[in-house]
Amino acid sequence: MKISPKFVLKVAGTLTIISLITAALLGVVDGVTRDKIAEIEAEKTRQAMSIVAPAGSEFTDKLDIPAEAAAAAAAQGGKVLELYGVKAGGCVMKISASGSQGSIVMMVGVDANNAITGISVVSHAETSGIGTKVCGNELNDAGVPVLDQFIGMSGAGTLEVKKNITPITTATVSTKGITTGANAALAAAEALG
Amino acid sequence: MNFSKQLKEGLITQNPVLVQLLGMCSTLAITTSFFNGLGMGISVTVILTLSNIFISLLRKIIPNEVRIACYIVVIAGFVTCVDLILKAFVPALSNSLGVFIPLIVVNCIILGRAEAFASKNGVGAATLDGICQGIGYTIVLIIMCVFRELLGAGTFGGGLLGGGELGAAPGLRIIPEQFGIKILTMPVGGFLTLGALIAAMQWALSKSEKKKKEAK
Repeated sequence: MKISPKFVLKVAGTLTIISLITAALLGVVDGVTRDKIAEIEAEKTRQAMSIVAPAGSEFTDKLDIPAEAAAAAAAQGGKVLELYGVKAGGCVMKISASGSQGSIVMMVGVDANNAITGISVVSHAETSGIGTKVCGNELNDAGVPVLDQFIGMSGAGTLEVKKNITPITTATVSTKGITTGANAALAAAEALG
Repeated sequence: MNFSKQLKEGLITQNPVLVQLLGMCSTLAITTSFFNGLGMGISVTVILTLSNIFISLLRKIIPNEVRIACYIVVIAGFVTCVDLILKAFVPALSNSLGVFIPLIVVNCIILGRAEAFASKNGVGAATLDGICQGIGYTIVLIIMCVFRELLGAGTFGGGLLGGGELGAAPGLRIIPEQFGIKILTMPVGGFLTLGALIAAMQWALSKSEKKKKEAK
């Protein structure tokens, strides 16, 4: 079969032009929404930080993440995205761990004794009405808000769903995602010393 | 171009969800609260209408051999636009619907209507088709949301009514919580509700067809 160059040019050309126009349109929309989205994300980060640290805490600016801390978190299956110090002692970390539908990004506060002071979810892609219950800190099977049960816990790698962590029925995988993040945060905090 | 005929097709005789059985995935997954259903319905209607308009405009330019690729580029472009706009201006809805907004790209209603209707009809008819099919989809979503929310959780208008922030509002309590049929709020409840709705629709359609035949 012989394909004429003119035909190839027509097919490839049309597709390229349509893609270019679409890309230009996306560029315009991105330009309009970028600052707004960044602002909302920053506000969410501030709110999430003040939720997970003791009341009245003051935070440092974003710190560099030491390689040991990143490696310790990775060994627990999580990733440290951002690190902030708490001026009274301890730190707040933004951690990413995999949930049931992709990554759950959460804020985890850890005090000077390497115990968790709070967990709050920043962004996620969990199933609406199921995994979102965990991210929204609803009551677990034992009647305790699912994220609050982590407060005071310590020891990287010792937190385990159905052992010392109670999930929400039907959302066990999402609870496991949070637990992975908690373990990773503890491991990173221990590595920071 | 016939508005009432197209509206009737979108809502009843060619309803995208209940008759064409398109877009099942999102229908099952997000119909847990009124707010989700309405938000998803409006998002899909906007994207469907825009993509129908553009594909109809481009139908004589797009070579037949790469038409599906072109449709996907156009649809993905609009979906990303809507996703960004929701993130920036209605973050509560964007949080609540999560991954299902980007997934509209592969929602078969949109590709299905592009291939079956917009690529064969003029801009006016394609626009109307997008709006009517979108309304048909939205209404099914809302019926499912109201049904599952009311009987499952005992509330109405979750995310919108009952005080609290947009998207986090508990909804108006109509039935005491302990009498709710919990299973309806779970995925299996989505299948049961949708199955019952499709059955009811088919029954009504075949009944009206019989009547028409008898009248002849």
